Amino acid sequence: MNVSAGSYESNDCLITLEPAAELECIIHSVVKEQFGEQIELVLKQTLAGHNITHVKLVINDKGALDYTIKARLETAIRRMRDLDE
Amino acid sequence: MSRSFLFLPGNNPGSLQNLDIFNADSIIIDLEDSVTFDTKDEARDLVYHFLSKFMFKTPSIYLRINDISTPFFNDDIDVLDSLEFKGYVLPKATKESVISLSKKTDKSIIALLETPMSLVKSEAIISLKQVDAVLLGAEDLTTAMKIESTVSRQEITYVRSKLALECAAHETLFIDTPYTDKDDLAQLKNDCLQAKILGANAKSIIHPNHVDVVNTVFSPTTHQIANAKRILKKAETHQKGAFNLDGKMIDKPIINRAKNLIAQAKKYQLL
Repeated sequence: MNVSAGSYESNDCLITLEPAAELECIIHSVVKEQFGEQIELVLKQTLAGHNITHVKLVINDKGALDYTIKARLETAIRRMRDLDE
Repeated sequence: MSRSFLFLPGNNPGSLQNLDIFNADSIIIDLEDSVTFDTKDEARDLVYHFLSKFMFKTPSIYLRINDISTPFFNDDIDVLDSLEFKGYVLPKATKESVISLSKKTDKSIIALLETPMSLVKSEAIISLKQVDAVLLGAEDLTTAMKIESTVSRQEITYVRSKLALECAAHETLFIDTPYTDKDDLAQLKNDCLQAKILGANAKSIIHPNHVDVVNTVFSPTTHQIANAKRILKKAETHQKGAFNLDGKMIDKPIINRAKNLIAQAKKYQLL
């Protein structure tokens, strides 16, 4: 079962998480060419901070800054853990 | 000392990132009415990371948290209180809820008075030490009273006057209720003037279009500034008692008012 946080609004992003056999990050972004690597770095650092290694993450980004990406991912992680409990 | 308090939705990164371009003296980041029940956690996380990343000297930042009867009240404070912001706007404030909040934080509190009972007991709330300001929430109040919210605002004359008097007595800022028609700037100005005449010090705002009108009305006018300067200049040469200026008696309260007006004018860079 997957969980989401965020939105498709401008300056925001929608992040979806679901359990997986390994870590997989799929990035859809209006600025992927310029900032794709930075987005991936923020996502992976945030996941690592929670010791999450087996998850499929999909981000639909509409120009979110780093703090927004991190916030949306933190919410999604908590929601996923709440589901597990 | 702020003239304008602009509400911005707490779950909207685009609004948060631009909060310093609207020219409002204070910003109220909203975690309550503008945030749906199922996204309270999203908004709280977003505001946490936003305020962790960005610091603002101006405008002053307040957070409207969820009221004490909700399951979000404690989470809002526990997660956000360590961050840099000026204070909380506490919805549906009562004496008891203000005291509960003040036990959890040292930050200032703006009590949002929006129920009939909170208006009946308003002085007990205003007199609390941590209450720096009260904000009148007329829409919820008139709904609870089952009366119509009119363009003339006649229905809130009494509560505006009551709060203005009590706030003056306790040296607390009185922030007027927002004007809800975002396009009618002429009526907004009338609404501001009515509130100011009755004693409001500032106004809350729910659309950035309103900031300039509110700032203008709640600033000292050019005429008031010139008059205050004349009073203070003449007062320098009359060290004792009252004196006459343009046929009017000028005494200590009027001199003090002139000093306050000049201080305001300086703060708003009108001098």
